[in-house]
Amino acid sequence: MITALIVDDEVHARLALRRALEPARDIHILAECGNALEALVRIRADKPDVVFLDIQMPQVTGLEMLSMLDPKDMPSIVFLTAYDEYAVSAFEKNAFDYLLKPVTPDRLELTLERLRHSQFHPDFSVLPEVNHLRQIPCFSSQSIVFLKLDQVEYIESRASGVYVVDTLGREHLTSLRLNVLQLRTPLMRCHRQYLVNVDQVAKLQYIDSGLAEFVTHSGRILPISRRLLPEIKEQLGIA
Amino acid sequence: MDLHSVITLSVMLLQQMCVYLAVAYALSRTKLFIPLTRATIRWPHRLACYVIFTAFCIMGTLLGFPVVSGNAIANTPAIGAVLGGLLGGPVVGLAVGVTGGIHRYFLGGSFGLAAALDIVMQGLIGGFTHRYLIRRGKTRLLFSPLLAGGLTFVSIVLEMGIDLALSRPLTQALHIVSLIALPELIANTAGAAIFAKILLDRRDSLEQHSRAFSAKALEIAAHVDGVLRDGFDQENSMRVARIIYDQTGVGAVAITDCHKILAFIGIGADHHLPGTPITSPHTLYAIANNEVFFADGNEIPYQCSLNPHCKLGSSLVIPLVGEDRQVIGTIKLYEPKTRIFSTINRTLGEGIAKLLSNQILDGRYERQKSLLLQSELKLLHAQINPHFLFNTLNTIIAVTHDDVAQARALLTDLAVYLRKNLKRPAEDVQLSDEIEHIDAYLRIQLARFADRLSVVFDIPPPLLGIRLPAFTLQPLVENAIKHGTSQMIRPGQIRISASQDEQGVQLVVEDNAGLYDADNGGGLGMNIVDRRIKNRYGESFGVTMSCESNVVTRATVRIPLEATS
Repeated sequence: MITALIVDDEVHARLALRRALEPARDIHILAECGNALEALVRIRADKPDVVFLDIQMPQVTGLEMLSMLDPKDMPSIVFLTAYDEYAVSAFEKNAFDYLLKPVTPDRLELTLERLRHSQFHPDFSVLPEVNHLRQIPCFSSQSIVFLKLDQVEYIESRASGVYVVDTLGREHLTSLRLNVLQLRTPLMRCHRQYLVNVDQVAKLQYIDSGLAEFVTHSGRILPISRRLLPEIKEQLGIA
Repeated sequence: MDLHSVITLSVMLLQQMCVYLAVAYALSRTKLFIPLTRATIRWPHRLACYVIFTAFCIMGTLLGFPVVSGNAIANTPAIGAVLGGLLGGPVVGLAVGVTGGIHRYFLGGSFGLAAALDIVMQGLIGGFTHRYLIRRGKTRLLFSPLLAGGLTFVSIVLEMGIDLALSRPLTQALHIVSLIALPELIANTAGAAIFAKILLDRRDSLEQHSRAFSAKALEIAAHVDGVLRDGFDQENSMRVARIIYDQTGVGAVAITDCHKILAFIGIGADHHLPGTPITSPHTLYAIANNEVFFADGNEIPYQCSLNPHCKLGSSLVIPLVGEDRQVIGTIKLYEPKTRIFSTINRTLGEGIAKLLSNQILDGRYERQKSLLLQSELKLLHAQINPHFLFNTLNTIIAVTHDDVAQARALLTDLAVYLRKNLKRPAEDVQLSDEIEHIDAYLRIQLARFADRLSVVFDIPPPLLGIRLPAFTLQPLVENAIKHGTSQMIRPGQIRISASQDEQGVQLVVEDNAGLYDADNGGGLGMNIVDRRIKNRYGESFGVTMSCESNVVTRATVRIPLEATS
């Protein structure tokens, strides 16, 4: 049995794909999602084998969504698009599977055959949209805030979750994991629990016993782990 | 002093003056007098001036009355001499005086020599006054009847002095002067003033003539209308030059751009060749300074820069002005050395230049506009967004499964949308047509985003009949979906409204996404809509964008009331 997730912002498009998949007895549709953020949650929770992923979606496109996923959680992806010359040519080049909407049964069958037999997981990070996170989705009580990277001062991982602290000192909870943020953004890992935006750092100051810490422009002090210090100094060009 | 004789003589002299002035008036209606209505003239005209005023001078002597057994003549040669000098300058004045004087001298009498010298003196008074006034730049004063009368009065007083000084015996001279002084003062002063007035009137009537000439100007305008609109090149310029040459009757007409002669017709066409570079310093000056340059050949000398034997003697260069007051060429009128450059043709030339400038500008504007329109067409055709089309088809396929009637309605909407999209953007449409287009589009979008889009129309029914350029609202609504509501996770709303005030009609397209990025502009569609409205109705109309981040993006289209009638 292959478990699947359908992600598309158009209700009829989801419906159409669900119907097209119905004859395939070995495909089990776990859920449908109307946007990328819902999909992120479901992918982590349900760990589907395959995600049918629309590219053009509000706020976070399908490709951006991949940049927010931990590579080790990455399911098989079948991209969906009605028309996107650029994306399609990128998929062709990298041998990613994709379906054009409206989906024809023959083409869908070909995709399903591949899914049944192929175990290989292509590396989507060759696509710039996947490799570089443009914005960090954060959840407030009512809505979702998208923080641009230059608005971020640092990110802290706590027991209650990952918090993004912006340059105004406000904290935002995000569902993205620290290792994904480290991988897909230029933010620097300075501690097991911290990523820092180097542009927001005012100084690096030494404390006792060879330890050091960052002081940001807003005066916040961030610890630097002993293990990472030599690497950080090298990156900052401090001998 | 014999009062009775003095009065009789005065009356008689005034009567003769009437004859004299009648002749002057009659002649003033002929072409002979045209050179006299202008102060700055060339030698041929000075010669004419000399001949005419000498004739009047001699006539003045002949129309006189011999007094005291022919020793003296109560007469009016002073008028011819003074006016001859006044209008022709010192040389003409002297020549008239000498000729008139010699004539008088041979009539004899004890006053003969003195009277002859009087006339020379009067010519010189006129001549030097001419020189004085010209140097002071008070040319217009030369024709003042008051000045002519005053000068003549002074010259008669001097004449009496000379007569007394030179004529012998003194008692007889005194007697004669006492007899003729008053009649001559009255007759000459009045005569000169009236003569000057005749010339002034003649000059004014010539100006009126020029007003009649404006009819001709209009005719030229009608003839050249549209010729240069097709392009400011040699062929069209030649046609225009031909028309101007035929209609104005000037010696020659040339049209240039900023570097070369485009057309030349008339005297000197053998060496003023179209296609050759501009060499005339006057033309280069006119182009460089955007100024009319008039070389009358007298005060400002004119010499053809190409050929020293060129017969052209005066030239008027008028810049042709294009966009942003930039000189794009010149039009030049010439007269040969044998002819005066009339003020009429001068004014006419400037008028024609303005007319041609506007035409060239219009033509460029028209061409630019049609280029713009062509590119618009291409863009709008390209704007039937394939992404939209395929998603729509996908939606319809899905809907067909559950609701055939809705599927059929969506297909109809799609057909309406596609058909309206194929319409020529140059057309005007009623607002109701535009709304129909938008409605078809939005119904499809509502089906696609059924769970998260709503649409509100708020158009007062009376405004549905107003006319506006096709594709005015459509691109704005597409923007509101594409860059607005389709980027929202929460439910989106599109609102389309219209209102009317004194300034005109406002059409507003709003979305509740508030994602408009002023740095990116409003997209190609919006820019075309804005430019097209501004081109047509002026800068105070067009599209303005406003945005409250994450709350609302508002596109407001303003069109004038006139456009709607």
